[in-house]
Amino acid sequence: MSQIELYHYLAVGAILFGIGLVGFMTRRNLIMMFLCTEIMFQGVALNLIAFSRFHMNPAGQSFVIFLLSIAASEAALALGLVVLLFRRRETLNADEWSEMQG
Amino acid sequence: MDYALLAATALGAIGLFLMLPRDRMPLVRLGMLLGGMAVIGFFLYLLRSVGESHLAAATGGGVPIPFYLFGFIMIAGAVGVVCQPKPVYAALYFVLITLAGAGMFVLLLAQFMAIVLIIIYAGAILVTYVFVIMLASQGSTGGQVTAPDYDRKASEPFFSVLIAFLLIGTTLQVLFPSDGKVIATPSGHPDQLMAMNIGEVAVPTTAPAADQYVSAAHPPTDIQVLGINLYSQYALSLELAGILLTIALVGAVVISRKGEPKTHILGSGTLPTE
Repeated sequence: MSQIELYHYLAVGAILFGIGLVGFMTRRNLIMMFLCTEIMFQGVALNLIAFSRFHMNPAGQSFVIFLLSIAASEAALALGLVVLLFRRRETLNADEWSEMQG
Repeated sequence: MDYALLAATALGAIGLFLMLPRDRMPLVRLGMLLGGMAVIGFFLYLLRSVGESHLAAATGGGVPIPFYLFGFIMIAGAVGVVCQPKPVYAALYFVLITLAGAGMFVLLLAQFMAIVLIIIYAGAILVTYVFVIMLASQGSTGGQVTAPDYDRKASEPFFSVLIAFLLIGTTLQVLFPSDGKVIATPSGHPDQLMAMNIGEVAVPTTAPAADQYVSAAHPPTDIQVLGINLYSQYALSLELAGILLTIALVGAVVISRKGEPKTHILGSGTLPTE
């Protein structure tokens, strides 16, 4: 009988990660770029929970807690920076800041 | 090399490429059709390639519709975020991804993480995003109805889709080898999910007897298992995560405050002038 296996969840996670990668590379809106990294976070979190369930190890769920705290920190700091940059030039276009490439 | 999988990946790549925002969008519906066909074809492939499992008793066999439903919603929501020119709608699509992801977590018997995902992502992070989007877009559009130019046009859509789908394609080829030997799934009884790992951690003797709550008669819930794991094996990491969150909180406040160049911080020293 058909049954969901570990690699089905891994496949969905990989697809989410790839689509988020497309968004990160194509969007030029600073907020949208960070939103697309959150999609990639979701794919990774799904992978970790699936590993946790199929390997019977709660460490995967612990890692997702850490992943969520990292995502929250990243969102707070990144959006603070976006607000700061937006106040300087009144635009969210990432190409406007291309001189910051170092 | 699995050509069915390769075809589905290529179809999805073409569909996503056609759906990406650009100046003139004559083929969006064709892209939606191709992308939907790719996802459905991929799910049919998954359905065909599933094997026998010791976990079959967990869901009672049959076609596991919730998995495919949540998977489709997650992928469709991700495509919606990537292709939606208006940031507010994109954030709403992201809420869709979060809800479907929480459903996936419930399927994986991680109910606590599902609730945490909804509370933190949909409740906290997304609200912050929507708040900043509204704050930023009321000035930049300045009365004009359409989205600004950088939102309406994707930059380098061809190479982005190519790179990302090369990554997806190779990952899927590794996950589903053509000789039919998929990665072995460990087996175990679902009622005692992760209970075997709970015996390995050292429970402090001063605590009320852990056996009182966790025994063979009362298998531990996922919150108990997660709590014991988190506060024994990863206690230091948990403290570090808390410190990180505090630093991020202070940093976000310092970064985004309206800085007059001569503001005193704690009465000593000044912010560097620009």
